[in-house]
Amino acid sequence: MSSTLTTALRGLRLTPFLPIRPSVTLPSIPSRPLSTTSVPLNKMSPQYLAAKGLNKKSKAKNNAPRQPNFINMLRHLAVLSPRRIPAPLRMARNRYLRHWTIHRAWLMYRRKEREAREKVWMRQYQSMNHACEELRLTSGPGSRDEGSLFRTALEKWGVYGLKGVPIEYTRAQTETPARVAWNHDWKR
Amino acid sequence: MTRSQQVARPIVRSLRQATTSTSAACQSQPLAIRQFSSTPNRCDGPTTTTTNTSGTPAAPGPEVLAPKKTPPISLVKQGTEEELAKYLSPELGSRRRRAALATTGDVPFEQLPYQCFQEARKILAQDREEKISKIIAETAKIKRLEATDASTFRGGEEYKQKRLESMRNHVEELKILADINDPLVKRRFEDGMGDMNKPIYRYLAERKWRSMDYKIITQRVNQFHIIPDVLPAFDPTMDVKMTFRGYKVAPGAILDSLDTEVPPTLRMQVFDKGERMLSVVVLDSDVPDPESDTFRRRLHFMATNVSWDPTSKSLNLNRLNAGSSSASGNTETGSLAVSWLPPFAQKGAPYHRLSVFVLEHADNKPLDVAKLKELYDSEVGRQKFSVKSFRDKFNLTPVGFNIFRTVWDEHTAEVMARHNIPGADIEFKQQRITSLKPPRKAKGWEAKRQKPKYRSLWKYTKRIKGLKFK
Repeated sequence: MSSTLTTALRGLRLTPFLPIRPSVTLPSIPSRPLSTTSVPLNKMSPQYLAAKGLNKKSKAKNNAPRQPNFINMLRHLAVLSPRRIPAPLRMARNRYLRHWTIHRAWLMYRRKEREAREKVWMRQYQSMNHACEELRLTSGPGSRDEGSLFRTALEKWGVYGLKGVPIEYTRAQTETPARVAWNHDWKR
Repeated sequence: MTRSQQVARPIVRSLRQATTSTSAACQSQPLAIRQFSSTPNRCDGPTTTTTNTSGTPAAPGPEVLAPKKTPPISLVKQGTEEELAKYLSPELGSRRRRAALATTGDVPFEQLPYQCFQEARKILAQDREEKISKIIAETAKIKRLEATDASTFRGGEEYKQKRLESMRNHVEELKILADINDPLVKRRFEDGMGDMNKPIYRYLAERKWRSMDYKIITQRVNQFHIIPDVLPAFDPTMDVKMTFRGYKVAPGAILDSLDTEVPPTLRMQVFDKGERMLSVVVLDSDVPDPESDTFRRRLHFMATNVSWDPTSKSLNLNRLNAGSSSASGNTETGSLAVSWLPPFAQKGAPYHRLSVFVLEHADNKPLDVAKLKELYDSEVGRQKFSVKSFRDKFNLTPVGFNIFRTVWDEHTAEVMARHNIPGADIEFKQQRITSLKPPRKAKGWEAKRQKPKYRSLWKYTKRIKGLKFK
């Protein structure tokens, strides 16, 4: 019983109910079943407007390409827009001075951090340099001549290329970390 | 806002308007309370009409800004608006802000309890400590170096002096760096209260000068061709500003000859420490000379032996005494060598550039005023003056510069008459140079049809308004 009813309803839905046909012939009127509104109200539907060529927005978007100078101008204005350039900070004097103080302190802090970092890097570089110099001046194990260890140390086989191992791995790879990470008491 | 307040809002608003209109008569007392919110007042206190009147003065008066009595913070936080208004005006801001004001009214700026600000001050103070310890270490090093014998160095005495010089410069730099991040120093400098004996204020002043005024002066030097015309090379290192009759003058401005009848006041600022001797020279470099068809120079003013240090502010050239260099009463230090000749330009002559030069003496030695007078204080002496030869003759260094211009105007003749300067009746005229080419024949359709052959067209070709054909 119910299945027959639904099929009947489906059939009803398939044939749209149009109360009054307007005088204008419409290419494709969207079917709005079960609505009591008349078709003239329906004239604002996008399909209708597109068919009549009245939907200016969509037309401008699709058809008319923007002039390059206009695009340039838009870009320029976009750069100047408050989204890109935030409003200037407006502060009274004391507040500005506090702001300035904090800014200077922040710059100072960052500068100190940077200098400390650079110092460490410089030290590391220097110590590596000294190590290489030491290697260059030692005559190698056995009968090898002076500086052969240095040359071996600076070989870059297998560092670059497809099958190369990154330079970060140039230490003896072990299964587990060392029990003592660094022997600070080591003396030559 | 509670629900009941929301409901009552329109009623309260209309009531408030009514009370405002009725209480217009009793607005004599300066209540001046602007309502920041359109919500009704809290109902827990007695509402008077006077608190709601909306007289709006332009700025809050001192009676608003000054807290009447410092209330305890608990009262500010808990009391009603009316109770609170007895102590701190609602104009001062939110309850929170008023609480802050009530508790921190007389805290000095650097101790204001803003957390980030205080943390920043700690970082800056630590940096300052570092800089000061560096200064102490460096001065100790300088002393040690001064004590050592120069023969121990490979470079000898020259090396030692050079090293000392660079170390002293480093100390000066550190002195500036120690104070440059202090907000109070910045504030004092901006207020013009900085002590110019201290290196930081001199540094800030120089930075400010270099940022704009120096650029303008060097631009004037270049665009008015002072550099090849008056001096072969010149770079100002001190700030010289001019005021004529108390009015500031932009460098290079064309001034009225009435204003320039009296010598200007120079506001000068030097940026390096110590006392020095200065000479001030004003010269006109555009005096027309029709005999030789050139322009010549003329000295308009010369003062010398002006002792100057960074704390000195202004030099009134009118008050320089012509006699000795003794400073007595109203006169400035320094002596007048050549008195002020009012600048003038004769009619038809192009503008005259009057450059004001400030020259520094070598080794702070004063110049001989009598000799200067003998050399330059005469008609011929004024014409013979040249800044370059003056600089070379007396071993001076030009350090400061300013310029103004003068042209013939309605007061020039009267000023010249007052100071017995001849030549007010002379007018310079451009010499007319006629072309050597023969006159060109008339061209065009009309010119071609002037002959009797075109008699029929004469009505079109003969009577043209504004044209005349032979």
